[in-house]
Amino acid sequence: MVTKSKLKMALVAEQGVDFKKLNQKKQQKLARKEKKGKSAAEGEWEDVEAEGEEDDGESADEEEVEGESDDEAEKPKEIDFAGIDESDSESSDDEGEGIEGDGASDDEDDEDIPMSDLEDLDDEEKEDMIPHQRLTINNTAALTAALKRIALPISKLPFSEHQSITTSEPVKIEDVSDDLNRELAFYAQSLSAVQEARGLFKKEGVPFTRPTDYFAEMVKADEHMAKIKAKLIDEAAGKKASADARKQRDLKKFGKQVQVAKLQERQKETKQTMDKIKLLKRKRQGADTDTTNEADLFDVALEEETKPSRGDRENRPNKRAKKDAKFGHGGKKRFGKSGDAASTGDIRGFSSRKMKGQTKTRPGKARRAGARK
Amino acid sequence: MASVYKSLSKTAGQKDEAPTNGIKKNKQRVLILSSRGITYRHRHLLNDLASLLPHGRKDAKLDTKSKLYQLNELAELYNCNNVFFFEARKGKDLYLWMSKAPNGPTVKFHMQNLHTMEELHFTGNCLKGSRPILSFDATFDSEPHLRLLKELFLHIFGVPKGARKSKPFIDHVMGFTLADGKVWIRNYQISETEKALNPAAEEGSAKKEKNKETEVSLVEIGPRFVLTPIVIQEGSFGGPIIYENKEFVSPNQVRSEIRLKKAGRYNARAEQGIERLAKKGELGLRSTGGRVMPKDALDTAELFA
Repeated sequence: MVTKSKLKMALVAEQGVDFKKLNQKKQQKLARKEKKGKSAAEGEWEDVEAEGEEDDGESADEEEVEGESDDEAEKPKEIDFAGIDESDSESSDDEGEGIEGDGASDDEDDEDIPMSDLEDLDDEEKEDMIPHQRLTINNTAALTAALKRIALPISKLPFSEHQSITTSEPVKIEDVSDDLNRELAFYAQSLSAVQEARGLFKKEGVPFTRPTDYFAEMVKADEHMAKIKAKLIDEAAGKKASADARKQRDLKKFGKQVQVAKLQERQKETKQTMDKIKLLKRKRQGADTDTTNEADLFDVALEEETKPSRGDRENRPNKRAKKDAKFGHGGKKRFGKSGDAASTGDIRGFSSRKMKGQTKTRPGKARRAGARK
Repeated sequence: MASVYKSLSKTAGQKDEAPTNGIKKNKQRVLILSSRGITYRHRHLLNDLASLLPHGRKDAKLDTKSKLYQLNELAELYNCNNVFFFEARKGKDLYLWMSKAPNGPTVKFHMQNLHTMEELHFTGNCLKGSRPILSFDATFDSEPHLRLLKELFLHIFGVPKGARKSKPFIDHVMGFTLADGKVWIRNYQISETEKALNPAAEEGSAKKEKNKETEVSLVEIGPRFVLTPIVIQEGSFGGPIIYENKEFVSPNQVRSEIRLKKAGRYNARAEQGIERLAKKGELGLRSTGGRVMPKDALDTAELFA
């Protein structure tokens, strides 16, 4: 359990420290603390304080044993204890607050509501709440003491030992909810640190850049990187697909316009040819004599186009005339079908035989007699 | 490959002997563990961080949430002088405890906006166990409690030289920035690219000449999270509170406030109903109770009685 360097162990042996005993002591103390934690808070406070002192005394001993603490670290500790005690007693008077780690302080969180958070509520909504101001505890002396106890001597260590860089100026972020600028500030901070660090590494002769043929396990495994890559590709593909779809849609819209335009153009063309034909016709009517010449004058295509239409027009039955003949057009329409003197006197279609009802087909007497036989 | 590593580590070993005279060596080991009841995201974040800390020792979940001093013994058992403990509450809130194991101090943070490496899909990557450059905001030096935080970050996130699984090259940087009373933590890969071939444009900076013609840019690796310091204790998981953040609002409180707000709305509505009834009674419009109106002489009941 206790693993320390040989030298340290020798030192320990000389001083006669029993680790088991120390451990036992510690556990006993913890048990005691636990018991007391259940008792009243105020009582606990004093106890804890006392124990805290004990603790520190012991820890100092341990540190001596380990030979790690130096004289500088110990001196301020003594001074600071006074400060700790004072501040502790102040804070404990104000509020009977459990220090034991998490439980007590968290239960309290349920009740505590800082006034600042309530300001934006309506009066009606406020009435059920019990405003409770959280106390500020900022024991500067104790904090600095604690820091001194654990601090690494950064100024004395070579840079490659700690690799920490603090910016020369505090990073200012106006609006933390402005994601882009916030991340940019973080990026800039880290980048400047890297640039500074690279110089320092170079000065100390510490390798910085990984050679390209140095392969080792990475934080993100290959399959994870593959996943990321797949996602990137997916995203790009999606973007491309959507762009394509949009293009297609636009084209479709445009294509319709093109189609309409084409149709219109065709119509226009046919109209133009018709006009040409009409013009041609009129010209022909004007000069009938030189038809032979005219046929030569025009293109064959025009000839072809004009020929069938001419034939159609002339062979077409004159519907209007027929209709006029049938139903009448102009002039007196009444009594058109009634008889008059002329029609009465017309005996062209009269036959006396027909009037008598005889037909020519009756055979002669002999034939009739012969047929009877 | 092994030869490269050997040669590099040999040179590093020679350098090691120099600072031993009197100055404490940076020797850190971190016990990484969580309480029970963490969600998968918390667990993944813990794994991510553990993979970034080669000097860490991951342990099984701690069973208790009230007896955190047990962590000290555990740390001693594993020879760790730092404890990095995730405490989950109610299956949603995550608190981070960072402690110097035997004697403190201990800092308790509330962790928010956490995103694991896996869900962030950043393209950055780094060697497992390479030592990060830690970049701190200058604000950390402004107040004693912030300086303490910085020191703890330095011990826990900084990989000590010669740590067991550490790699000899530096390829990532961790940024710690204070903004809005919170510590924002980011992790970037350092990617070096050959400088673009127009020396005329960038002649001015002398630094770049020193940098052997490579340009540094960063690619984020992840994870991301934000820490709100809540409390600092003098001991390790015990001892007096030497700092308490007044501005911290616990998530429980936020939730209860929302609930109370809703309750307040109901109360207002109920009150309105009562008021309306009273008003109607006052006008004599209620059939029972309220003011009884005097009978008018021209009332139908009077006229046709």
